[in-house]
Amino acid sequence: MVVAQTQLSNGQARRRHHREPFLRFALKTIVKKPGRLIGFLIIVLFILMAIFGPMLYPKNLPIDPNAIYAPISWKYPLGTDFEGTSNLALVITGARYVLFAAAMGALFTVVFGTVLGLLSGYFAGATDSVIMRITDFILTLPSFPLLVVLSTVWNFGQPVAMGFVLGITGWGGLARAVRSQTLTLRERGFIEAARGLGLSSGHILFRQLMPNVGSYIAMNLLLAVTGSIYAEVGLFFLGVVPFHVNNWGVMLNLAVFSGGAMSSPQALPYLLSPMLALLILTLGIVLFLDAVDEMFNPRLREV
Amino acid sequence: MTMLEVKNLKRTFTTKDNMFGRREVKAVRDVSFTIPDGGVISFIGESGCGKTTIGRIVAGLETPTDGTVLLDGIDIHRANPKERRELMRQIQLIQQDPYQALNPAHTIEEALAQPLRLMAKRKAGVSNAWIQDRMAEVLSLVGLDPAAILYKYPHMLSGGQRQRVVIARALTVEPKVLVADEAVSMIDVSLRLGVLHLLRNLREKLNISVLFITHDVAASRYLGRDGKVFVIYKGMIVEEGATDTVINGPTHPYTQALLSAVPVLKGLEVPGSQRFYVEKELSQDGLSEEGCLFASRCPFATAECRRQLPPLAGDSHKSACLYPYERQVTARMLD
Amino acid sequence: MNAELQLIDAQTAVQVRGLNVVYETTQGDIPAVQNVNLDIRKGQITGIIGESGSGKSTLVMAMMNAVAKPGRVASGSIEVSGVGDMMKLSTEQQRRARSTELGLVFQAAQNSLNPLRRIGHQVLDLGRSHGVKDLRALLRKAKDLLERLGLDADRVLTAYQHELSGGMRQRVGIMFALVLDAKVVILDEATTALDMLSQASVLQIVRELHEERGLTTILITHDMGVVGDLADRVVVMYAGCIVEEGVTQEVLTSPKHPYTRGLIRAIPRISGDIDKAVPLSGSPPDMNTYKQPGCLFADRCPLAAPECQQSRPPLLEVETGRHVACFRVNDHA
Repeated sequence: MVVAQTQLSNGQARRRHHREPFLRFALKTIVKKPGRLIGFLIIVLFILMAIFGPMLYPKNLPIDPNAIYAPISWKYPLGTDFEGTSNLALVITGARYVLFAAAMGALFTVVFGTVLGLLSGYFAGATDSVIMRITDFILTLPSFPLLVVLSTVWNFGQPVAMGFVLGITGWGGLARAVRSQTLTLRERGFIEAARGLGLSSGHILFRQLMPNVGSYIAMNLLLAVTGSIYAEVGLFFLGVVPFHVNNWGVMLNLAVFSGGAMSSPQALPYLLSPMLALLILTLGIVLFLDAVDEMFNPRLREV
Repeated sequence: MTMLEVKNLKRTFTTKDNMFGRREVKAVRDVSFTIPDGGVISFIGESGCGKTTIGRIVAGLETPTDGTVLLDGIDIHRANPKERRELMRQIQLIQQDPYQALNPAHTIEEALAQPLRLMAKRKAGVSNAWIQDRMAEVLSLVGLDPAAILYKYPHMLSGGQRQRVVIARALTVEPKVLVADEAVSMIDVSLRLGVLHLLRNLREKLNISVLFITHDVAASRYLGRDGKVFVIYKGMIVEEGATDTVINGPTHPYTQALLSAVPVLKGLEVPGSQRFYVEKELSQDGLSEEGCLFASRCPFATAECRRQLPPLAGDSHKSACLYPYERQVTARMLD
Repeated sequence: MNAELQLIDAQTAVQVRGLNVVYETTQGDIPAVQNVNLDIRKGQITGIIGESGSGKSTLVMAMMNAVAKPGRVASGSIEVSGVGDMMKLSTEQQRRARSTELGLVFQAAQNSLNPLRRIGHQVLDLGRSHGVKDLRALLRKAKDLLERLGLDADRVLTAYQHELSGGMRQRVGIMFALVLDAKVVILDEATTALDMLSQASVLQIVRELHEERGLTTILITHDMGVVGDLADRVVVMYAGCIVEEGVTQEVLTSPKHPYTRGLIRAIPRISGDIDKAVPLSGSPPDMNTYKQPGCLFADRCPLAAPECQQSRPPLLEVETGRHVACFRVNDHA
């Protein structure tokens, strides 16, 4: 028999082996491939932009009547807009609202989707039926038109409000996916064992089940961020939301509908600079996604 | 003193064929047995015979269609939720697949600490140090070195080690009964006996009763030598008795077929003189509800066997056959 | 066919020499089969026994030169009687040799059958890919075989895989291995997933067919019982190496390698004194086992001496037809 020679000294048993901290492990995963690192750096850059960007410039950006639609130069790396304001400054100061609202939207999506998906999949039966009917309802709602309608009655000056609305309409798909994952997991031995040991449902849901859908949730969080960005930028671009603040959507709207970017080539940088920002951010997220699965997979953790 | 008493257990699964039709599958049909305090019984049968369902009902993970499971006289399926959880804790199921039984996202330490925290709450007045001590204690009971294993994730362990961790986890809640469902069949052969040996030791050391569910007759002989065996066929007990009595002198043709099917080691053993093979496959369809359930595969069946269902009869060695007859089918060890 | 044929004598169906198979991983190559020399004798049932990871399945896949990536045959030769060295044949010749010379029956067979085609169609596919002219005769042969295996041939040929039970599928797998008249049949854990009664009857059929058709049968299993019941010769593998080889009866009654001895002792039996069963100590080989220079079994071995940690014992003939890889082969009680 494999009886290990075990000395039952308390000291030995209590000497904890510290696992590799998650952050260090995550960092190791990221630097493994250059693509992941680039993606990570892009995301960090945009986050810094959102936090500190507005502090770099005065509250009202300087206007230069002599440099309306100025071409790209050292002074205006992305050109200027119809008032002679630097496009770079506009992109940087506009990042905060866009990113904050998108982050809130993604957060709401993931929280609603995960919790409802877990509940539905684990409890099955009546709970499942009720939650899934609500999910079906949310999924069939045409979310973009709904946002348009909601925006007429709601003040979107606060990014939290915008994020909440984006989240409310977006969690359906994730809830369904988490539910189906939970349905297969609940048949696994360790869930039954947890029930047999008398562990509470809350423990089973959030301590046993959730870590096993962790990478899935994290990936969806990132994808929800891009989704939310597109949705809100779209709303501003269409002009259905009042322009309280400067942001990328507003820039696009002004460039196309008032700036004449579609007809005059001088105005093109004004249109392209927010699009470039969107493109780079999406690229960063897509590149970074590759690392997420590995980060949350316990099988790859070393001790 | 009787500890676990199961009376007239029945479990029927209903599957919907379509919107109108439904089919009933009788997984367990009227099974009764008792396990004495610190005793052992084995259930032997092929996959699909209902033995796993019986184990899950006993462990409280499934509800019987009819019948009772009494632990020290209390019906575990009709107790109030709080009592029920307490009774479930006392009957721990060791599952067949140690690869599925541990959460891949948790270290062994976390896996053991979760139920121990619960126990600490019940005990009141015990410290965090108690949890650490208990953790080391249960791991050494199952023959694992705490320092070498606590920080590991399940995927870093061999099948045998995992099954030991699963047993250690069951021990954290101080159970009275262990239900071991094919607990060694997915472990490498060289490590199987070690785990069986461990279960045998736990019975002796901690006075835990064991319900051993297996298809391996020899394993049941190793673990349940001083207990009883129950041979299950299509959800019914077809033969029961003291382990060695049944293995050496089986009277039901199904038990005889199972013992005939055990491979014989050349040079070490000689096959039983009346060893026979059953050609037909076990099937669920075309099952007539009349007569003996084994009649369609039984080489000794008569017309009478297809007409009436034989009851489980006998004193200490019972057999559900109209014509119980002892045949020499068990291999004999050469000297 | 070619000159190399003369290398193997008339008694040998497959001759393996100096075979090494490695699995390529990011941490370097892991040896799966190491320095294997083995003669599979014609007309006999050879049992290859070992635990998961012992290299027994890799060994037979190498015999067919069909080791899947990331595995790779690093060195060695495999002479198949009537075919030649599998390592030197063209891809097309190798493909022909599988099925017509070497027939493989997979575990429970469910993975080797196409779930979307009827069994009969798959027989025809097999015939076409091997250039069989008379497909009608092939189908007739398949039918005869299935009936011989105790199945309702017409029903089985028109059935899909999922309509068959495990035992039936296993028999269908045997039919596929034999329908092109393979002379060497390899059963890879062919009865592992089956119930006891099906296992017994499939083994009985294997035994009967082996005799009727004069086959050479290779049985790969982790179950000592299956080998002990059926095989004429037994090959014991541990961590990619052959540790003992000989006539089944002799190996079972007087095992000479400590691993074989431990393994036989660790199996509870239905007769005799049950307390003679003793668990094997130690844990199965892992990555570190392969890295050390000594005997692979040394850390679990009750007889291990200092020399066992230094170098690896070669597989030597200790009696006629009996090979053991152990330095202390004469030292046990």
